[in-house]
Amino acid sequence: MSLVSGPGRGGMTDLPEELRLFVDKHVSYIQSLDTRKDELEYWLTEHLRLNGLYWGLTALHLLGHPDALPRHEVVDFVLSCMHESGGFGAAPGHDAHMLYTVSGVQILATLDAFDDLEARVKSGRQRIGQYIADLQDPESGTFAGDEWQEKDTRFLYGALNALSLLGLLHLVNVDKAVEHVQSCANFDGGYGTSPGAESHAGQVFTCLGALTITGRLDLVDKDKLGAWLSERQLKNGGLNGRPEKKEDVCYSWWVLSSLAMLNKVHWIDGKKLASFILHCQDPELGGFADRPGDMVDVFHTVFGIAGLSLLKFPGLAEVDPVYCMPRVVTKRCLGQ
Amino acid sequence: MPKYYHDDPRWADIDALPQDDGGPYPLAAIAYTDEYSEAMSYLRAVMARNEMSERVLELTEHIIDMNPAHYTVWLYRAKVLSATNSDLSREIAWLNPTALRHLKNYQIWHHRQTIIDKLDSHVGEADFIATMLEQDAKNYHVWSYRQWLVKRFALFPGKGGADGEWDGEKELKWTEGMIEADVRNNSAWNHRWFVVLGGREGETVSDDFIKREIDYAQAAIRKAPQNQSSWNYLRGIVRHAKLPVSALKDFALEFATLESSDQVHSCHALDLLAEIYAAEENTWDEAAKAFELLATKYDPVRAQYWKYRQGLLRQGGVVA
Ligand SMILES: [Zn+2]
Repeated sequence: MSLVSGPGRGGMTDLPEELRLFVDKHVSYIQSLDTRKDELEYWLTEHLRLNGLYWGLTALHLLGHPDALPRHEVVDFVLSCMHESGGFGAAPGHDAHMLYTVSGVQILATLDAFDDLEARVKSGRQRIGQYIADLQDPESGTFAGDEWQEKDTRFLYGALNALSLLGLLHLVNVDKAVEHVQSCANFDGGYGTSPGAESHAGQVFTCLGALTITGRLDLVDKDKLGAWLSERQLKNGGLNGRPEKKEDVCYSWWVLSSLAMLNKVHWIDGKKLASFILHCQDPELGGFADRPGDMVDVFHTVFGIAGLSLLKFPGLAEVDPVYCMPRVVTKRCLGQ
Repeated sequence: MPKYYHDDPRWADIDALPQDDGGPYPLAAIAYTDEYSEAMSYLRAVMARNEMSERVLELTEHIIDMNPAHYTVWLYRAKVLSATNSDLSREIAWLNPTALRHLKNYQIWHHRQTIIDKLDSHVGEADFIATMLEQDAKNYHVWSYRQWLVKRFALFPGKGGADGEWDGEKELKWTEGMIEADVRNNSAWNHRWFVVLGGREGETVSDDFIKREIDYAQAAIRKAPQNQSSWNYLRGIVRHAKLPVSALKDFALEFATLESSDQVHSCHALDLLAEIYAAEENTWDEAAKAFELLATKYDPVRAQYWKYRQGLLRQGGVVA
């Protein structure tokens, strides 16, 4: 099993024995997440519920356990978060917002449940598409998160992500959106949240993702950005999100997936990164933390597993670097 | 001291709406029924009747203190503030300690932005930002917010439009102070770029201006030759001014030579030298040697990247 696409690299077989992936532990960790309703923490994180479900479900699919959460209940819950407007809130009773709408679409796509949506919500797809399209700012081309009008390249990426999965990209002004992404490019080759904002690996991921979805990677100085991205690797193998910041599993994903979109995963040391990610697992209770020794959470769990998948770690389903979803799912939705 | 509403006479007219999460658990069995869940049940009730009042401001303040990431609460609070014509400077006075208690929260920044925009005054904001950056000098939200202020109140050097207390010249001085405090603070370097170039879209800049920025970056590099941020800045300015990279050759040679490989004090300098050599066909051997040193000795983690750049020489191409 080859680790990366570059020339002359070794496989994972010479990793030390303790660097195993504890698949069963991660599956039961994710399954346990929704049974903790007696903890205050469960309710304090309610504003992330739909994101959390997307993270957990994606991790399970990549781990090869797609049926570990009951499909019917998941679809019920997702649809219970949907508003008349077509937008989704984080949980029932929460306002609609781009970030949850994208998670809702990603979950429905992963479960191949767009037909369920249509059966239960009249013109469901179209309504979601319209909700997203209405958040585009006609002046700048970027997207707001909700009626509060905060703008961020994360929302722009999310919009294109969800619309492309729904096959409704034509509802928005793609050229304007691309122009906005270009205006967020910085002198160091990276991208920020808005024009002038500091380059940040998370925003590089969203901007590159947007350009990949719209077929405009030709606008990117790939060597310069690839160099900036590969500079994110630290001696311990982990990747950081900005110069002089600490390594973190979630940044490892954003940097690695960006490199994958540029076809330059081999510019970093994949073996060292895999080892860093594996050191962030909890071998007993499952889950991944941001860095070794910290508390695990489902957010770092999916990005840890997705990172290992991009590194072609044995036994994992292939992840799509643009969508952070199983490749079989995006192939199906995008008709590839 | 927890605060409850069921025994508060000011809330006696409200029938709380407890959580219905649609799940299989009977409501009464949810053991989180405490301060937070009670406050939330009152929020649901007032939202259901669309109440816009002073007591709702108190309630949302209470909930935000317990859970600042609950975006629906912020949005509702913003609506109430506007509907009740509240004193917005009081809102800022409350936001200051709240931001300090919740450094990672981001909802608070957009909220602050809309309030300051309405107040149409940045008085006190510089002090507030200073306090925030004392906690974390690289907080992305704080720097983004500062950029917004610079844009909103036209605080670019030589642009005028400010009130003397805080203007573009002071902004540049302040940014220099931040870089001086930590020359590796990439946020501060980015802010300098924004302040010196961000306000002049499309304008051509003078040679003096470019020279000042090059001198500034070079002085910072001499203090810390392995610092990515200052090298990125230097190269960015040179590219922006459309100067050839070879203009930096003598400077790069201060930190790295190919003659003796233990005289390399900065792989960024070696990278730059490689690029300069790669630009001229008669120095391709030197370029190849520099890439080799980077791949094998000075930056082996990125060996494949350096080999790629070396490979471009054979193809006759160069990395711009
Ligand atoms: Zn993280």
